[in-house]
Amino acid sequence: MPSDLGTTRRAASELGVGRPTKRRPGAAAGGLPVADPRPVLQDGAVLGCRCTVCRYPVAQLGIPWCPVCYSPVVPDRFAVSGAVWSSTVVAIRVGALRPPFGLAYLDLDDGPRILVRLAEPAVVTIGTRLIITGTDSGDLLAAGEAS
Amino acid sequence: MIQPMLWGVGTSAYGLFPERRVESLAWDAIAEAVRDAGVTPGQIDAVIVGSVFGPPGVATRVQHGLGLGGIPMWTIENACASGTSAYHEAVEAVRLGRFGCVLVLGVDQMSTLFSGAIVPEATDPEGAASLPLPGLYALQAQRYLGEFGVTPEQLAAVAVKNKRNGLDNPRAQLRAAAPTVAEVLSSRMIADPLTLLQCCPTSDGAGAVIVGPDRGNRDDLRIEASVTVSGMLWDQRGSDVWGYASVARAAEKAFAQAGRTPAEIDVLEVHDAFTIGEIITLEALGLAPRGKGAELAPSGHTARDGAQPVNPSGGLLSRGHPLGATGTAQLAEIAWQLRGRADARQVAQHRVGLVETMGGSAAGMDGNACVITILSAQQ
Repeated sequence: MPSDLGTTRRAASELGVGRPTKRRPGAAAGGLPVADPRPVLQDGAVLGCRCTVCRYPVAQLGIPWCPVCYSPVVPDRFAVSGAVWSSTVVAIRVGALRPPFGLAYLDLDDGPRILVRLAEPAVVTIGTRLIITGTDSGDLLAAGEAS
Repeated sequence: MIQPMLWGVGTSAYGLFPERRVESLAWDAIAEAVRDAGVTPGQIDAVIVGSVFGPPGVATRVQHGLGLGGIPMWTIENACASGTSAYHEAVEAVRLGRFGCVLVLGVDQMSTLFSGAIVPEATDPEGAASLPLPGLYALQAQRYLGEFGVTPEQLAAVAVKNKRNGLDNPRAQLRAAAPTVAEVLSSRMIADPLTLLQCCPTSDGAGAVIVGPDRGNRDDLRIEASVTVSGMLWDQRGSDVWGYASVARAAEKAFAQAGRTPAEIDVLEVHDAFTIGEIITLEALGLAPRGKGAELAPSGHTARDGAQPVNPSGGLLSRGHPLGATGTAQLAEIAWQLRGRADARQVAQHRVGLVETMGGSAAGMDGNACVITILSAQQ
């Protein structure tokens, strides 16, 4: 294996540790706490908004109008089941999360596309059916419908 | 309307320079660009800066060392497209007659911020869910593997090409060796299917560009098009992978503005932060149909001696990726190529060049910003 990439890791190993930065890493990564922007799972549904005219779904709260047609939105609850658009297994540590961990974009049934953490760290086939089963440190956890 | 021209370019070296003041990287780039453009500092009538991580106030400290105060100056943050976003504003300002000689600076020093990969932004829904940049691109790569049958070897061929090109770039961060496809694939996994050698390093560096009106100098490069677009919704309604549509939107406008087709471009510098990024970008630029962009590197089409060389500098994969500086580094390479002064990296056909920079990672949008510019040498 070429040696060039090793330079990056060696020289950077102790840099920036403990310094305040422009980026907000969040409490989980050692920074100050920030308001949690992740989709919320509550009583078996993902919370969000839906357009009263075009029915566009968003897994966010507090938006002033529909981002597609600018019509009014109302709070809505989305199904926890859906189909995988794509998935990956991350092999590096990110914040407090240790590798390996799986992430997927899940297109919720009649709902928005959201990022979920896979219960099992393995790439799954496009279109695989998953269900959000709970949360881990605020991340939505998804597993196969059969499991 | 005034015809905007690129008068001069300059860059620092790219690498990890935590012992250096970030301002000194900018001074290296600006001094070279001022010499290259043949202007005096007093001719510069505006400064536009692209930087993601600053630090806050860096532009003013750069001005201090140059004695370049009192003129309009502002800083733009558009993720990885910050440097070219600053350049685009300079081009438009010259086109409209607002300024007559604009200094564009792209600068970032990441070695004093992050000890490894960029820490995701906790205020972003996907950043808070621990999606790192390589993970975001890996999700697009997995989609290409599953939907179009793209192979890991085709992804790796992009890294092999760009790292081989980077061997001849004395300013590149990584130039110790050019790996084989097998070595790329056997390097450490970062986010499946992207291995370490398919990911750009984090870097420090600066680039500078001087833009002004046509002054009758044969060495100046004609800016045929410069386009910027921001992101649009990326969601369950569309079939595009993330990032594709923002590049395609900018490309359509840029080719229309220049009155050119993709086949007329001789040489390109595009955003290859990860191997899959170059593939998606070249499809969005129209160099290949959807799902076929992965064939361009293995076929040799985008090699330095191919029909349309892409990233002859070594790209972000070799040169490194100091976010705000990257766009200006791409512009510098295309300027050197179009003038026939790229030394060992020189491509054979070099009349028309294209730079594409795509910045993104905000959840739910197909990019934060994309800038595309088309330049030509005067014959």
